[in-house]
Amino acid sequence: MNVFRAILWKDLLTEWRRRERVLSMLVFTLLLVVIFHFALPGGAGPANRAAAPGLLWAATLFASILGLGRSLSPELENDALSGLALVPGDRGYVLLGKATATWLILLAVEGVLAGLFLALFEISIGARAGALLAVLGLGTGGIASIGTLLASLSSRSRFGEVLLPLLLFPLLVPILIAAADATAAILAGDPPSSGSVRLLVVIDVVYLVVSFVSFEYVLEE
Amino acid sequence: MQGPPADPIARAARRALPATGIVLAGLTVVYAWVVWNAPPDRVQGVIQKILYVHPPLAFAAYLGFLITGVAGALYLVRRDDAYDRLASAAAEVGVLFATLMLITGPIWARGTWGRWWSWDLRLTLTLLLWFVYVAYLLLRTFTEGSERIARFAAVYGIAGLAVIPLNYFAVQLSQGSIHPENLERGSLGPGMGLPFLLGVLTTLTAFLFLLALRVDVGELRARARARLERAWARGEAA
Repeated sequence: MNVFRAILWKDLLTEWRRRERVLSMLVFTLLLVVIFHFALPGGAGPANRAAAPGLLWAATLFASILGLGRSLSPELENDALSGLALVPGDRGYVLLGKATATWLILLAVEGVLAGLFLALFEISIGARAGALLAVLGLGTGGIASIGTLLASLSSRSRFGEVLLPLLLFPLLVPILIAAADATAAILAGDPPSSGSVRLLVVIDVVYLVVSFVSFEYVLEE
Repeated sequence: MQGPPADPIARAARRALPATGIVLAGLTVVYAWVVWNAPPDRVQGVIQKILYVHPPLAFAAYLGFLITGVAGALYLVRRDDAYDRLASAAAEVGVLFATLMLITGPIWARGTWGRWWSWDLRLTLTLLLWFVYVAYLLLRTFTEGSERIARFAAVYGIAGLAVIPLNYFAVQLSQGSIHPENLERGSLGPGMGLPFLLGVLTTLTAFLFLLALRVDVGELRARARARLERAWARGEAA
């Protein structure tokens, strides 16, 4: 657990000092909103309210690639990864720490993005803000855990930046579907269907277990 | 170089090659003849005969992906390169069969449903799975060092296997299926049972033949590389 806390603290502190991941993701998602606006007939406004949940999660998926790539690449400098491999206890806690840091950073970006979407598409959610935040947290949990695992593979391969989305996106489609479904219900003023929320929880658990267990094999060498 | 392979998987593959090759050749002839003479479907006409090709391809593709995941997990536990060669061979052959399935599917769909593609449950699932295993092969291509390739690929192969049920429930959540549930209900029309059975047998034999061939080639390649490295080491020592 100490390893988890130390890694989480280190990643959040470096991010706080440099703010490079938050800023790059934030600017990127704003750009995506502009692109969506010109790509959609009727633009990013009330006319396309039904598309908002899907677009919100699509933007999140695209932005997550930037954040995940930068989560592992600093560890490759000066071979810091070998140092991480020497942590006492289960190496899965290294992944857990890095994934949690990425989760928090992604959530911060998504919070801004969601607020922007609510304003642009003229949706008022009022008391359901908590439910929306919960769905954002659940959906992002799966992205952060399996994403950190796959970024640790791709960052040490040639063309890693190209490889990461190819590896990651097919595994994120179930999250996109379930999270967009739940988000659509919340934005429409209904409680999210139990099926979508249950699926999000199951995905989070499965991806967390797979990442935690197999990170051991990624770090050794 | 000429001796029998050292590991049991490659030995079994090489021993199985001639037999599966002969059985495959025989089955293919019988299969083609039976399909040619099978009665055309009353509603769909001749296009329905894709039934004898398309689902068997799917069975073989899914079998390949299952082998990739399991063999990858076994590699991580036992650290025997033979399992990695089996995993990568199964992924390559699986991608081949899945590609053929994704080509024959739209042809059949155009003929019966009237459109090339529908985002239905099984189509979408198979497409996603195809993406996972193409990414698996790309990961192998872009990673360096045979030991690291084996390790990384095994990790991704296991993740790829875990995503199948997740994708299933997710796509089911987003829409229903227009794919028939024929197989579960056993409702093949009269005269369709035999050609379908032969299709499954022939396709699975073809799968095993290609898998054995690919495992054998992988093993020979590994031995050649080992010999080359030994020769280099000797040259440096001299």
